Amino acid sequence: MANFARQRTIMNDETLDPLSITARRAASGVLDAPAKITAQKLNFYYGESRALTDVNLVVKEKRVTALIGPSGCGKSTLLRVFNRMYAIYPKLRAEGEVLLDGENVLDARYPINRLRTKVGMVFQKPVPFPMSIYDNVAYALRHYERLTRGQLDERVEGALKSAALWAEVKDKLEHSALGLSGGQQQRLCVARAVALKPEVLLLDEPTSALDPISTARIEQLIDDLKVDYTVLIVTHNMQQAARVSEFTGFMFLGELIEFGVTSDLFTRPNNRKTEDYITGRFG
Amino acid sequence: MTTPHVLQAGMAGLRSSRERRDFLYDRAFRFAVTACAVFVLVSLLAAALSMLWGGREALGTFGWRFLWSSSWDAVHKDFGALVPIYGTLVTALIAMLIAVPVSFGIALFLTEIAPIWLRTPVGAAVELLAGIPSIIYGMWGLFIFVPFMGEHIDPWLDEHLGPLPVIGSLFQGPPIGLGMLTAGIVLGIMVIPFVSSVMREVFKTVPPQLKESAYAVGNTTWEVVWDIVLPYTRSAVIGGVFLGLGRALGETMAVTFVLGNAHLLSPSLLQPGNSIAATIANEFTEADSSIYLSSLLALGFLLFIVTFVVLAIARIMLARLALRAGKTT
Amino acid sequence: MNRWQRRQLTDYMAKALGTAATLFGLFWLAWILWTTVSLGLPALKWTLFTQTTPPPGADGGLANAFAGSIFMCGLAVLIGTPIGIGAGTYLSEYARHTKFGKSIRFVNDILLSAPSIIIGLFVYELMVRPMGHFSAWAGSVALAFIVLPVVVRTTDEMLQLVPTTMRESALALGVPQWKVIRQVLYRAALSGIVTGILLALARISGETAPVLFTALNNQYWASSLNEPTANVPVVIFQYALSPYEFWHALAWAGAFVVTMLVLVLGVTSRWLISRGKEQS
Repeated sequence: MANFARQRTIMNDETLDPLSITARRAASGVLDAPAKITAQKLNFYYGESRALTDVNLVVKEKRVTALIGPSGCGKSTLLRVFNRMYAIYPKLRAEGEVLLDGENVLDARYPINRLRTKVGMVFQKPVPFPMSIYDNVAYALRHYERLTRGQLDERVEGALKSAALWAEVKDKLEHSALGLSGGQQQRLCVARAVALKPEVLLLDEPTSALDPISTARIEQLIDDLKVDYTVLIVTHNMQQAARVSEFTGFMFLGELIEFGVTSDLFTRPNNRKTEDYITGRFG
Repeated sequence: MTTPHVLQAGMAGLRSSRERRDFLYDRAFRFAVTACAVFVLVSLLAAALSMLWGGREALGTFGWRFLWSSSWDAVHKDFGALVPIYGTLVTALIAMLIAVPVSFGIALFLTEIAPIWLRTPVGAAVELLAGIPSIIYGMWGLFIFVPFMGEHIDPWLDEHLGPLPVIGSLFQGPPIGLGMLTAGIVLGIMVIPFVSSVMREVFKTVPPQLKESAYAVGNTTWEVVWDIVLPYTRSAVIGGVFLGLGRALGETMAVTFVLGNAHLLSPSLLQPGNSIAATIANEFTEADSSIYLSSLLALGFLLFIVTFVVLAIARIMLARLALRAGKTT
Repeated sequence: MNRWQRRQLTDYMAKALGTAATLFGLFWLAWILWTTVSLGLPALKWTLFTQTTPPPGADGGLANAFAGSIFMCGLAVLIGTPIGIGAGTYLSEYARHTKFGKSIRFVNDILLSAPSIIIGLFVYELMVRPMGHFSAWAGSVALAFIVLPVVVRTTDEMLQLVPTTMRESALALGVPQWKVIRQVLYRAALSGIVTGILLALARISGETAPVLFTALNNQYWASSLNEPTANVPVVIFQYALSPYEFWHALAWAGAFVVTMLVLVLGVTSRWLISRGKEQS
């Protein structure tokens, strides 16, 4: 257990240990923040079978929260409730409440598209639209905002800078996005998601399809993004959760087993199942 | 994927004008595409009904007799569908007798026998047969194949098979080249690419592990095909055959040119005859009485019913395999 | 012969028969194409495209027939494509697994493989009888009914091929569904949809039966679209069955042009499909 807590990251400075940093920050109270998203008594069904059971979760504003757990535990399902992505599939339904700044966004009267402008998502597999890099990033902007060309240029540049992609593509904005490498495409998807300046970013295993170097860049990106956005990340990689998140929730068979400050969850888990998962007794 | 607005309670809760506009446009778009889909449905229904409507005079006058009367008299206004029905069925049968084994052979060749580099070009060439307009088949049939049949094949058949008991009557007749055998052969060639491409597609869906395990225990290629591939794809193969049959039953131009357009009911394949589609095509503009026209439309309706049933069976058979292969349609 | 040898022999014979069947098929293809080229190419003259269809014995070309066919095929594509894309979109995006969607697909497949003469009769009853005369409009509508199921099917299949993640990524931005379909999905499926249109075009270029009782034929230039209109397949039909040598030659020339057109369209579609596969 102690070994794991000391495990080094593949990032630059070997003396930096993310769990210790998080522990210090939690102790000093820096991690306290208002609740951005609150899930209350959330149940999710696929047809007749239940995929999520009585989930209660608080995602704090401008903090990075991670969801970990073995395959099939429901972490992606839970993530996709927060932007009502399940709505396009007829057999899926959610019961319970999800409050975004106090408003229940699962309510049928809350417009889905409005929710999605506030809660952006980056998917596991980067899928750029078949258009130029510029058009990819500008896509939602063109629909939602009346901007002059100059203003649009600025917003696109800003989004690409937030995604740490600007320098690499600034001379080829008109090129097709399909020409980018995998890591670049994923950063493009991040730029696309932040272009509208949402409040929350949902990241669904954003690096599992990427090589280690691209993964490291994205993790660095998450660290920068949390200044402006509330980040909720699903990852099957525990070490990644330890590296990037401040709060972590462990899920198993559709239930949120344990939730807390990342360093606490990893070094002193309260629940037996959490401990078993973290120590690799099952996975 | 259903529209997300299924979970959205209408326009309640929409605040900005953009939200309202988005919602209305979504609704309008959905309505438009649904209308297009319904149009497809309506088209088929309308086609069937229109021919039934047009044929009502004939069907009303002749009743069920229409189906087995062999008369076709424009002067006395007595029409019966027997000759065209007979011709349609016989030519289609001959066509399938040729097309099915050949298509199977081609599908076998393209999936198991041919070297990989040969498969695409040969496959494309076979597809080309399907692309050639049927009127070209008709012209080639009339100017090239009919004389060939008349000079070389028909006389041979008449001479050698004609005198035989029982089946001899199939092969007796004047060596004019036009006739049901010729039409059946031309139809068969036309139908080959349809059946073979379905078979080919279907053979490719067999999971390779199934075939590999058979090869691993020492089966020959033929045995793998006969014992593994065919049983696995059986319903779809039948579906492909029915698809070809549907095509053969309804083909107009190729048959019109080479069948002879004679209202003749003869057991001999060397004699000219008529098919439903050929009758309609040839006589439509000449129909001088309303009952004549109505009879032609009634023939069309008959053809529609028959091909509908055949194509429906084909579809169901093909869907069974798709289900097995894990696709959902 | 022992059992093993017998099995080998069967295998060998099956392979031989399969190869023979393929050669058999290709033989006919070669024969037909050879005939079309050898009889059609010599009859190909400049005047084919500049002079109108002649009375028996006179010199002439197929200009009015080509014009009529181009117009009717063009109009058919213009009518059939939007409805076809619409229906295909409905099937893929709104009714992919529903019962209603399944029945539409079923009906569409029937329409796709139905004898084209039935379409001709249908449009005759629908338009020619009420209007009282044959017309280019009716011919175009008949051809449009042949274009329709082809486009429906290709659009449906091509849209279904677009990865779900692309759909979800676009919807996750809050962009309304109709815009996602129009701006992202159509773009992603574009080459496939265009291929469908080309295939439909290739099919109707050579179709005779639907035009036969709708647009009929015209020896001259039709002065309006409300008249019987000359078109290549029906002219070929009429000329080929006539006893006049010159008409036969013209028919072959027309057949040659139509076949070449169909081949070119077919090759282009194939090329588009392989290019589309390369990109994805």
